[in-house]
Amino acid sequence: MADDSTALISVQDISQEFTVGDELIKPLQNVTFDISPNSFNIIYGASGSGKSTLLNVLTGLQKPTRGIITVEGRNVYELEPDELAHFRATKLGFVYQTNFWIESLNVLDNVAMSLYFMGKTRSEAAAAAKDALAQVHMESYAKKMPNMLSGGEQQRIAMARALASSPAFIIGDEPTGSLDTKSGEMVMELLKRCQRELGRTIILVTHNLEYLPLADRLLHIEDGHVKVMQSDSVHETSMQLLHEMEDRIKRIEENRKNEKNENQ
Amino acid sequence: MKTNKAYTSVPRSVLVYISWRNLISKKLRALLTLFGIVIGIGAIFFLLSFGIGLQELVTNQVVGNQSVKTITITSPNSRVVALDNDSYNKIKAFPHVSDIGSSYSLAGVIVVRNSRIDTIAYGADAKYMEMQNPGIVAGRLLKPDDNKSVVVNLSVIKAIGVDSAKAALGKQIKMSIPVDASGDPQRTVDDNFAIVGVIEGQGGNEAYIPGDIVTAKGAKGYSQLLAKADNASSVTELRSKVRTLGLETTSAIDTVEQIGQVFKFFNIILVVFGAIGMIVAVLGMFNTLTISLLERTREIGLMVALGGRNRDMRKLFIFEAVLLSVLGAVVGMIGAIILGQIINLIMNLIAQHRGVTESFQLFAVPWWLVVGSLLFMIVVGLVVVYIPARRASRINPIDALRRD
Repeated sequence: MADDSTALISVQDISQEFTVGDELIKPLQNVTFDISPNSFNIIYGASGSGKSTLLNVLTGLQKPTRGIITVEGRNVYELEPDELAHFRATKLGFVYQTNFWIESLNVLDNVAMSLYFMGKTRSEAAAAAKDALAQVHMESYAKKMPNMLSGGEQQRIAMARALASSPAFIIGDEPTGSLDTKSGEMVMELLKRCQRELGRTIILVTHNLEYLPLADRLLHIEDGHVKVMQSDSVHETSMQLLHEMEDRIKRIEENRKNEKNENQ
Repeated sequence: MKTNKAYTSVPRSVLVYISWRNLISKKLRALLTLFGIVIGIGAIFFLLSFGIGLQELVTNQVVGNQSVKTITITSPNSRVVALDNDSYNKIKAFPHVSDIGSSYSLAGVIVVRNSRIDTIAYGADAKYMEMQNPGIVAGRLLKPDDNKSVVVNLSVIKAIGVDSAKAALGKQIKMSIPVDASGDPQRTVDDNFAIVGVIEGQGGNEAYIPGDIVTAKGAKGYSQLLAKADNASSVTELRSKVRTLGLETTSAIDTVEQIGQVFKFFNIILVVFGAIGMIVAVLGMFNTLTISLLERTREIGLMVALGGRNRDMRKLFIFEAVLLSVLGAVVGMIGAIILGQIINLIMNLIAQHRGVTESFQLFAVPWWLVVGSLLFMIVVGLVVVYIPARRASRINPIDALRRD
């Protein structure tokens, strides 16, 4: 079912297992899906559903127990360590929930980091990093230290860092998780713009329902299983998820009532 | 199999820059660490500089201007093996001999205004004087065609009551030098000599007259020959050849080596003292780098996630250690040199106060000590950083970036 000619990322039957103490944990079970170029993908699921593991596996940070992941036709986990590092520097742009910085370096150097790892000199990297900052309207922050900035400002700079090396993929791991609604919306708009205007492929992990309609495709992950929904069914899926949540809330409320009755 | 060369490496300047930024972002810690290194390497440098300086000072005092290429040849027993023209010519014909000079040393008397001044009188040829290389105060040394000329040392000048070395030039002095113990006037040099040169030396009276004059009076056998080898490495070979003639040789090298032996022990003791400071410096450096590693686990994880290679992470720490080492070594050496010069100045002032006229230098800073200390500190830095750097290169970005 994976069509390599159009798929940018092809995930074929991956499983991830590990043991904690005596318990066998299976965060991913037989997951298969494709990601097509210039698409906006949201990986949605509750906490502990395996979202982060899937993201780590997708970005070459964690080798799955079984299965194959090809990016642009190449098996990620057959790359040499240096090739893998180069792949991360050139192909992936990361935005995290809480942003991590090289604290001794200013905004410009932080944004330029993946360019440095691509082998660019400081002046070459600085030019590209300035362009990236301009795309998020943060040029004037270049000389500031990132930890001095507000959460929203930091997240915009993180976007600039993700864009600096012109990667094919922007990976967001709950990028709005620590932000207020307004900053969160701004980040989502930036991501959408990256997809539409710059032709990037977006892979976003979130548990925030309200962003689901932005996606072309929804990867719903639950207990290690992934269900893929196309854009035309995103609305229905969102509604369905809302209903499921409503059902769960109702069940919990009923349980509480029953407990109270029993106690009386 | 794909090679790693397909990708451009991170420019070294970028890694050095990141290391440098990290160092100066923790100013107090970096300064304290640096201070430890400065003290450690500075102490070793200071003590060695003193040891070497003292050794040079002692060597200069003992060996003076003698060339290490020159060997002194004497006869262990002149009745058995004579140091005569025959042996002179044999030695002259040896390979690697570039020059040879001879001298008689005799007890003589300088007669001035009816007072008799005892002196050691040397009957030397021009080559001998040249090789002996005494410090000239005024005038010149003996020349091959000199006849009634004499070169005296400062001690003689004082003894004959002349104010200065310059004023003594051209003065006639009467000398009486018996060439053997016979007391025969025919075998005594008894003549007036014109002073043509004054040389250093205040330890005892010394006068050099042309050796031919002594030979003409029937002197048997030279007291000493000086032979110069064409280069320092053939000295040993030349000495053993001379010894086959039954003659004894001494060389400035012997003295230098003996002094060196003594100072080798002295320097080891100094280095052991310095090493205590060095150990403290190393512990401080290790501590700083390890804390830096622990604090930066997340930063390193981030860099790996952004495309940094393991070896780049290792290099970050190596550069940090090298930066600390180089800075510490440079500051430590400058500090040690300044301290040495201050102490030297004080010692000179004290010595002057007690009547020493010559100034001296207690501390030596040879280039190899500077380069050696720098390299040593860099090597120490590389050893210290080995474990933190290895740990840095093994950081797993997933663990480092996990939300907690």
